[in-house]
Amino acid sequence: MLALAPRIIRLKKYASLYKAFFRASFIADLEFRSNFLIRILTDIFWYAAQITTFEVLFLHTDKIGDWNQAQTRVFLGVLFVIDAIYMIVFSENLDRMSEKVRKGDMDLILSKPVESQFIISLQKVNTALFGNLILGLIWFFWSLSHLPEFSSWRLLWLIVMVPCGVSVVYALRFSFSALAVIFAKSENIQFLWFQLYKLATRPDSIYFPWLKFILLTILPIGMIASVPARVLIDPPNIWFPLWAVFLAPMLIYLSHRFWNFCLKYYSSASS
Amino acid sequence: MLFAAFWKRNLGFFKLAISTNLEYRLNFVIDALLQPTVTSGIEMLLWWAVFKSVGSTAVAGFTREYYLSYALWAAFMSRVTTSWMYESRMVEEIDSGTINSLLVRPLSFYEYYFSQLMGYKFITTFFSFLIPLILVLNFNLPTQFDRLPLALLLAFYYLILIHSISFLVSTMAFFLTKVSSLTTAKNLFIWVLTGELVPTDLMPPWLQNIMFNLPFPSGAFIPVGYITGRIGIDAVQRGFMNVTVSLVLVNILAAYCWKKGLKSYVGTGA
Repeated sequence: MLALAPRIIRLKKYASLYKAFFRASFIADLEFRSNFLIRILTDIFWYAAQITTFEVLFLHTDKIGDWNQAQTRVFLGVLFVIDAIYMIVFSENLDRMSEKVRKGDMDLILSKPVESQFIISLQKVNTALFGNLILGLIWFFWSLSHLPEFSSWRLLWLIVMVPCGVSVVYALRFSFSALAVIFAKSENIQFLWFQLYKLATRPDSIYFPWLKFILLTILPIGMIASVPARVLIDPPNIWFPLWAVFLAPMLIYLSHRFWNFCLKYYSSASS
Repeated sequence: MLFAAFWKRNLGFFKLAISTNLEYRLNFVIDALLQPTVTSGIEMLLWWAVFKSVGSTAVAGFTREYYLSYALWAAFMSRVTTSWMYESRMVEEIDSGTINSLLVRPLSFYEYYFSQLMGYKFITTFFSFLIPLILVLNFNLPTQFDRLPLALLLAFYYLILIHSISFLVSTMAFFLTKVSSLTTAKNLFIWVLTGELVPTDLMPPWLQNIMFNLPFPSGAFIPVGYITGRIGIDAVQRGFMNVTVSLVLVNILAAYCWKKGLKSYVGTGA
């Protein structure tokens, strides 16, 4: 019991810190109102691109991979929701990590008495994108309502699968961003992430078996949206949720180890 | 004399962009080779899956090989006709006030970045071209190589329009505090309309009508459709016409915004 106390105090400290980050981000976002609206619009274009791709293809086919149109729409709904949560909480921080390293802002972060991965990952909350989360949720529930014989009880799986999906995308993106510490000019490594992320925006069933295996294990991009969607759509298979629950914390742990490894190569840019 | 000076300095910017991009080799390899390989690979896999599911040999009159070829070339063309990096730099230049050093020199902001963009596109296109070339020859995918020069010409002509739009967007930095999100929104909007994701002729007729009246299919669908045999020369001519009209309109608007912006500019950050 006594050993738990310092951990609870530490957790409280991080929670209050995050609350402060959230408040500061919200005020900053409200300051630039046109930017606020454009951010929402940007994601609407991205959603439109994903939806258009599949809707046009379904004009010419009944199935893509294992899924029909209704099932693919649910997959897109899951993708939009997980992507929106990731975008709200992490994206702005991780997208700018390379800039922070180059401009020397990292020095300040590393000198603070808080875990550096925590600050660098969560300092800025993109509150403008709550609108996108709402849009994603509307699409998700609309697509579910068009799914024949769907049991609402299966939605409970999302309590586990959505945090796991967000954790996977965070851990992978964070590891990519952390490379900015080693490679001074790493913009294109970061752009490579966006290309790889495209793999997650397609149902895993379109990939060859060997590639699908890689995308569910070694480079588990398929765990972001395909597996959570499978848990909702496909016949029950306990192995998927079990694998997700094992993989998500494991990846976060590995991303932390990788961050500490990268920091060994850090040389201040501001001095 | 004036033209000689203009040519000499722009050739200098062109060469500068080439050497700057080759300076960080890992960055360059990722940009010119790895990124287009991954993108075209993913799009090709999608078409592979579509044909596996359809159970038919053709979709809208074209076989799987045509779509694989389309996906491959579309990824390549889109890389030619997209400009993220230089637009961000242009915005940053105005935003931070470092534009002051350019304003006092005997050159225009537009040409300074245009020549650099062309240098960058020249060197990346040269290397990126190897990917579709190797794959097309290796898998015998349908490509009419005699049509390639005209398709590339249209793509580079369209790139001038894209640069003009970037110039227009960057002038917004004179009036607005944050323009970076405008860049992202604009690029995504254009990306949806180019036809990189799915060939435009697969879309519903009403949407096709709208898209063909815009210049954006010249960034992917028209050049790629032309070299893969989906469309003929008339579509290419229409592409050139749409881009020309848009170039005039965008540049008039951009010139107006630039003049208005310069009047309100106070040299912040100088």
